[in-house]
Amino acid sequence: MIRTNFFSKEGEVTPANLGEAIQQAIEIEIATIPVYLYTYYSINRVPDQDAISGSLSQALVQKGVPLAQANATALELSAELMVYANKAGALIMSVAIEEMLHMALSSNLKQALAGLPELIGKSPSKWPACLPGHEPEFPINRDKLSLDQLMTFLKIESPDPLPDKKLLKAPIPYKTIGLFYQMIKDCIANNDLRYNTHSPQLLPGKGYYAQNNVDTLYYDKKHKPHFTNAADSGDLLYVQDRESALHAITCIVDQGEGLPGAPGFKDGKVDCSKIIPDDYDDFDKKELSHFEKFARIYCSYEQLTKKFNALGIGAIDISNYFVVNVAKNPLTAHYPAEIRPVSDFLNGVYTYLFVMVENCYKQSGNTQYEIFMFGVHKSMIFILNSVCGDIMKLTYKNSEDGKTYNVAPTFEDYPFGLISSPKSQLIDLYNAAVAVYPTISYLGQRVQDLPDVPL
Amino acid sequence: MANINYNPNLSLCGGSAPAPSAPGAQASLTPAPELHVCMGLNACKGHDRTGTNNCAGTGSCATAEQHNCQTLNNCRGQGGCGLYGDAEQQMRPGDNECAWQGSCAVPIQAERFSTLGENAGKSVWLQARKLFEERMMRAKRNFGEAPFKCGPPQNWLISVLGSYDSCGNSGDKRCSFGFNDPEDNAKLLCEGKKE
Repeated sequence: MIRTNFFSKEGEVTPANLGEAIQQAIEIEIATIPVYLYTYYSINRVPDQDAISGSLSQALVQKGVPLAQANATALELSAELMVYANKAGALIMSVAIEEMLHMALSSNLKQALAGLPELIGKSPSKWPACLPGHEPEFPINRDKLSLDQLMTFLKIESPDPLPDKKLLKAPIPYKTIGLFYQMIKDCIANNDLRYNTHSPQLLPGKGYYAQNNVDTLYYDKKHKPHFTNAADSGDLLYVQDRESALHAITCIVDQGEGLPGAPGFKDGKVDCSKIIPDDYDDFDKKELSHFEKFARIYCSYEQLTKKFNALGIGAIDISNYFVVNVAKNPLTAHYPAEIRPVSDFLNGVYTYLFVMVENCYKQSGNTQYEIFMFGVHKSMIFILNSVCGDIMKLTYKNSEDGKTYNVAPTFEDYPFGLISSPKSQLIDLYNAAVAVYPTISYLGQRVQDLPDVPL
Repeated sequence: MANINYNPNLSLCGGSAPAPSAPGAQASLTPAPELHVCMGLNACKGHDRTGTNNCAGTGSCATAEQHNCQTLNNCRGQGGCGLYGDAEQQMRPGDNECAWQGSCAVPIQAERFSTLGENAGKSVWLQARKLFEERMMRAKRNFGEAPFKCGPPQNWLISVLGSYDSCGNSGDKRCSFGFNDPEDNAKLLCEGKKE
């Protein structure tokens, strides 16, 4: 597990190392993105309900349930699974887009206080990875949806320090992301700092960020849509003075860990009695924290599992009905030769997203807008999402364990070279990928339309 | 499209203007139809995909190029709405300023609802039709009823186009898990209520 120490003196943020601290915050946010996205794409959000229902009905009949009753129960259970799979996906995506917002807010903070944010090549390169500077360390994996993976998500977003078996006498960098941001906040609040108001930031009101979209919604049992982010839950901010800087950090912490007193672990476990079964947006539009969102998925998973066990059909884990069989922490290098070009292209798109976003901190006005809207939005919403879906239709035999898995997006940073433009290299990656997997040829024009942005 | 080639001149603007080219032979006098995003949003007689409609607002099909996602529209006024985009963008289906600034797929199925903004949960097509009617009123133009009063149902679009898709991973907007009638959901949207 690679761990980068950013501080010369542990546990303290001062004006001298504020830039490093904010850069560490940026990299903490970036570290969560491949983890959440990997699990997101492992979920089949729209499984075949007829197939699930048929399978459940058969299992119930084998347990001695009369056919008519088995069919009715199977319909009920299958509908619950359909809702759960879609809801889990929506909630994870709602968190993932907020982490991207947090990355942008922290980047605005760095631009204002310490200079250009560094976004390229900052995704974890070794897996299992860990959050830069978190104590205690705990492994984070790119893994399919499971209770274990959800527990990792809860640890990442925990509002309270995690229990540490080792008693450390020396100071530690930070125990929760919220506490880490608090250190930065204290430094900003207690020092007269100079704010750069000339360099570009990602600003609100330009359409760069939207709190909800078609992927952050799910349908309930009666197929009514529900949104998983509140419409006013947070936005980009222009960091220009102490007040706006503190406001940006407050937004990050409130969305991530929640307001003070928000539920967290209880004795190291998730207290499912606290999780309201009905959807929060039926109440007073209060935004759920990331921890609460993941706790909701975790507790619902447990609830459904208990239901299946009570009916005597729990031998098969419920995830089998809607989670794709992907390996833990795959790398492009693990894939066979005929699949690697597709994975390289996907990672090229993923990395080019960071290239474009970082470039937005060097450009302003219409140029920044064009890069973000034509480039980042198109790449993220259409190109990357499409390739993620297409690549998962492929399977391979893992040479390490001999098992067959679906290919998964690895979200590795692609090492663009310096001799030619990243876009020209991305085009080369596309051409190599389409040669082995012509299914993705529909993306050619979209790749060609992308802005040409230098490293 | 199979292989593509890198062209450093393709990206955005910059550089000197190209030399003007000779106009050549006179172009055909038949005006090209205005490109619009859906059934019932045409500004003129004969301005739908088949060219057979008799009045503004009565066309059965979009003339803008069909596409299924945000940023994929060719030009101004050719983007749909509802699936992506911020609150302001989602209030303006078919009214985007420029290429690649459309929020969503074209054409706009009747079942699509906005995901953000004042229109969140309500019909995108009805919002688009409202903007169209306001435009016709400003232009002092008469217009007729759309073939479907709440826009083209998804099943109808699939039957006439062969296939239809709008991007996103949350599943079919017209659907049932066995505990609702999709017609009821569609009726709610058509009545201007939230889905």
